[in-house]
Formats: sequence, C-alpha cells, structure tokens
Amino acid sequence: MQALWDSIQAIQDEFFNFKLMFDNFDAVIAGFWFTLQLSIVAGALSLIWGLILAVLRQTPGRAGGLLRIPAIAYINALRGVPLLLVILIIFTSLGQLTSEGAVPEFIGIPTWGGRPDVFWYGVIAITLTYGAYMAEVYRAGIEAVPGGQMEAARSLGMSHMQAMRYVIVPQAVRKVIPPLLNDFIALMKDTALVSVIGLVEVVQAARDVQRESLNSSALMLAAILFLLVTIPLAMLLDRLIKRQQAQVSRGVTI
Amino acid sequence: MSTVPEVDQTWSGPMLQLQGVEKSFGDLRVLDGLDLEIDKGEVVCVLGPSGSGKSTLLRCINLLAPPEKGTILLEGTQITGEGNAEGVDFVRRRVGMVFQQFNLFPHKSALENVTIGPRRVLDRDEAACDERGEELLTRVGMSEKITEYPDRLSGGQQQRVAIARALAMDPHVMLFDEVTSALDPELVKEVLDVMRELASEGMTMIVVTHEIGFARDVADRVVFMDDGVVVEEGPPADVLENPQQERTKQFLGLVLEH
Repeated sequence: MQALWDSIQAIQDEFFNFKLMFDNFDAVIAGFWFTLQLSIVAGALSLIWGLILAVLRQTPGRAGGLLRIPAIAYINALRGVPLLLVILIIFTSLGQLTSEGAVPEFIGIPTWGGRPDVFWYGVIAITLTYGAYMAEVYRAGIEAVPGGQMEAARSLGMSHMQAMRYVIVPQAVRKVIPPLLNDFIALMKDTALVSVIGLVEVVQAARDVQRESLNSSALMLAAILFLLVTIPLAMLLDRLIKRQQAQVSRGVTI
Repeated sequence: MSTVPEVDQTWSGPMLQLQGVEKSFGDLRVLDGLDLEIDKGEVVCVLGPSGSGKSTLLRCINLLAPPEKGTILLEGTQITGEGNAEGVDFVRRRVGMVFQQFNLFPHKSALENVTIGPRRVLDRDEAACDERGEELLTRVGMSEKITEYPDRLSGGQQQRVAIARALAMDPHVMLFDEVTSALDPELVKEVLDVMRELASEGMTMIVVTHEIGFARDVADRVVFMDDGVVVEEGPPADVLENPQQERTKQFLGLVLEH
C-alpha cells in the first residue's frame, strides 16, 4: 500500500511539481513570450505570402506561366521539405553568406526590433514553409468561387488582377478562414522547432529547467501554456465552421 | 484605368458583323462558321436547341471565349485575331452581358454590385457612381433594395440588379444569356419587362432565350441556330409562324407543344 502511495507521489512530483513550476515560472513565461511573438509575426507574414503565392498560381494564359510555374514549383518544394530542415538551411546559409560578404549584414544577421537573429531566421523559415501550406488553402478557396464570378467581373471590363482583387479573393478568403486558423494552430506548435538553432522559446526554456532539475514539471507547464492558447483557438474554429455550415444550409453564399 | 478608349458615339454602320466565326472546345466544334450581322438599335432573339452554340456565340462576341477563326467587327472595328489592335478593353467597354445564373457578387450590396464597374474599371468618382447606381436600380424597379445583399433577393430581383450592373458601364450592346431560365415562373415577367423597356429605349440587344412569347413581341429579328450555324433568320412573324427550314419547324414544334 505504501509502495503504491510512493509511486503516485513520485508520478505527481515528476509531472506536477508545483514548487518547481512556480520557481521557474518567469523563465518559462519568457520563453512563451518568444513563442507568441514568433507565432504572430510568422503567422501574419505566412498569411500574406501564402495569398501572394496563391494569386500568382492562378495567373492565366501562356505569358502567365512565367509567374504560375515558379509559384507551383515553389509551393510543391516547400510543402515537401521538413520545416526543421528549412530552419537549419536558413540559419546556416544566411550566417555563412554574411560572413563571406555576399549578403548585407542587416539581412544576413537580422536583429530587427531588438529580437535576436535566430528569432528572425525562425520567422523566415516558418513563413517560407507555411506560406506554401496557406497558398494551397487559399487556392482551394479561390477554386471554390463559382466560375461565373470571374466571367461577370471580366464582362464588366475588369482585368484578371482587378477581378481577383475585388471579386474573387474577398470571397475566397471568407471561405477559408477556418482552415487558415487550423494552419495557424499548427504553425504555433511548430515554432518549437526553432529551438534547434538556439532560440529559447517556451520548449527550450522548459527543457533547460528539466535538464537541471531532472524533473518534467517545467515541460508540463509549457504544455499547459500552449493549451491555454490552442484550446480557445480550436473552440473558435469549431464555432466558425458551425456558422458556415448553418449559412450553407440556409443557402447563403459564403 | 485611363487606357480605356473613348467611346465613338458617331458610328452609324452595323453594330456587329460576324463572318465565319468558329469556336471549339476540345474536339467539340461549337460554332461552325457562323455569319451574323446586327444593326444599331436592333433586338435580336437567338433560339435553338441546347448545345447549338447560342451561349458560345455571346461569349465570342465579348471575347470571354475568343473565336479561333473568322472575324467579328464591333462598330466597324475588328476585335478578333490579329486585327484586334484595340484589345479586350474596347469590347468590354461597349458590350454588357447578363448571365443565366445572375453572377451577382455575393459580398457586395445591390448598389455596390452596380457601382463596382464604373468605380474600378472607369475609375469614376464614388459619389457620382452611387448616384448613377441608384438611378439605374430605380429604373429596374429595385430602388427599395439598394443596400440588400444578393442572398436576400429573389432570383428575379437579382437578375434585375445584374441588368443594372451591366448598364452601369454604358454599353452599346447588351447580351442576354438565357436570363430567365434559372427563374421561378412567376419571376420571369418582371425581368422580361425590364428588357422590354430597354428594347423600347433603343438598346441594341442580343437575347438568347427560350421565351418564344418575348421573341414574338419584342424582337426585330429572330435567329434560329443549330449545330453552330444560323439555320434561319428573319422577322419573328416569319420565323416563328411560318418557318422554312425543317430543323426550325421541328424545334418550334417541340417548344410550342406544351
């Protein structure tokens, strides 16, 4: 009986040592702050980059191939490579090229806004990768807009780009807000990968505590911090999807 | 866009001249050397079985589906092939189109649907566009619904907004592609009435339709198409009451039976 009790206590202490959590709270929160900044900056840039890629991908005609084909190649390449690898490539190549003088220092070793260079390497790598993911989401939205919309816009004299800007994209974006939000949640979790190049975001901060204390409680704290953000986002996502389904069943074109 | 050419108000020759127009989709020859001439102010109703190329004819005229062979002259200017120096803008500036499925922009109100063309394409002043938009919506009997979004409008109301949207670009020719086919029967009349009025004001109109009654009452000329060519054309009284071609007789027999 005593042995069982000891086991339970040991398990509780391993995962939920509240004193350890409390003592290292500031360090883990500081890491989480980086995680949030990374998510928001890279998330916003991915949304923009993804939309640019998606629009380039839809350029019509033979001449449009000059934009369309590179866009398709880029999207397929970045979707097919692990984000971890992209992070490593950006990190190693930009630093090296800067030291060789091939790239100006403010790009090669960016410290914009007082953030460390590894933060920006992370932003660049995540944006490059998630831009490709999100481009595919936008594409689904653009292709879901009925063809008659483009015809109507063109018949009014709009150019392809005007039709995209004023007619197609506004409708497409509305349709794909839920899957974009889904990608954002995935992006936020993937920011942990930036720890491999030395950014002390929340996972690395918790890992440092764990290494020293040989106790997993700080890692659990990091998990809880993630859940505090991702669960409300997932609930919001559910509500958005339910609302869209209700609109569709009412016959509203979204 | 300032590149849109100025409209030539002085043109008095035929509005449209089509010669030997061919258009295929893959292996399917939809227009097979079609000839047609349309005068200014003329209302032409195009009849024919489905798949005869009626809608493709309209899409060729406004270059949504440019023909592969043959020539189209719009107000005397060649708009097809190598001779198309003026570009698509020249055509779209002069040719308005109304679609079977309305194709209103669902994220825009009725008024915004009507003003988006002048605003974005002609780069006109917003207040002037709104004023003209309200005027056009009043003309099609939609003055009460200016701020409504398309999903709050009936099919007939949407189609009337779509007509106002096309008119907002001050077209010289209006193309109507089976504009009442997607409507409930009781909503057909309100749309045809708007078109009737437009015809009486002297608008040049090409109307692809299955409404034989409308063709009889409003058309100056009826064109019967089959297999991508004009089979028979003439005043409605002749073509509808006394068709000469076997295919026309057959088609009208089927349409008028019920």
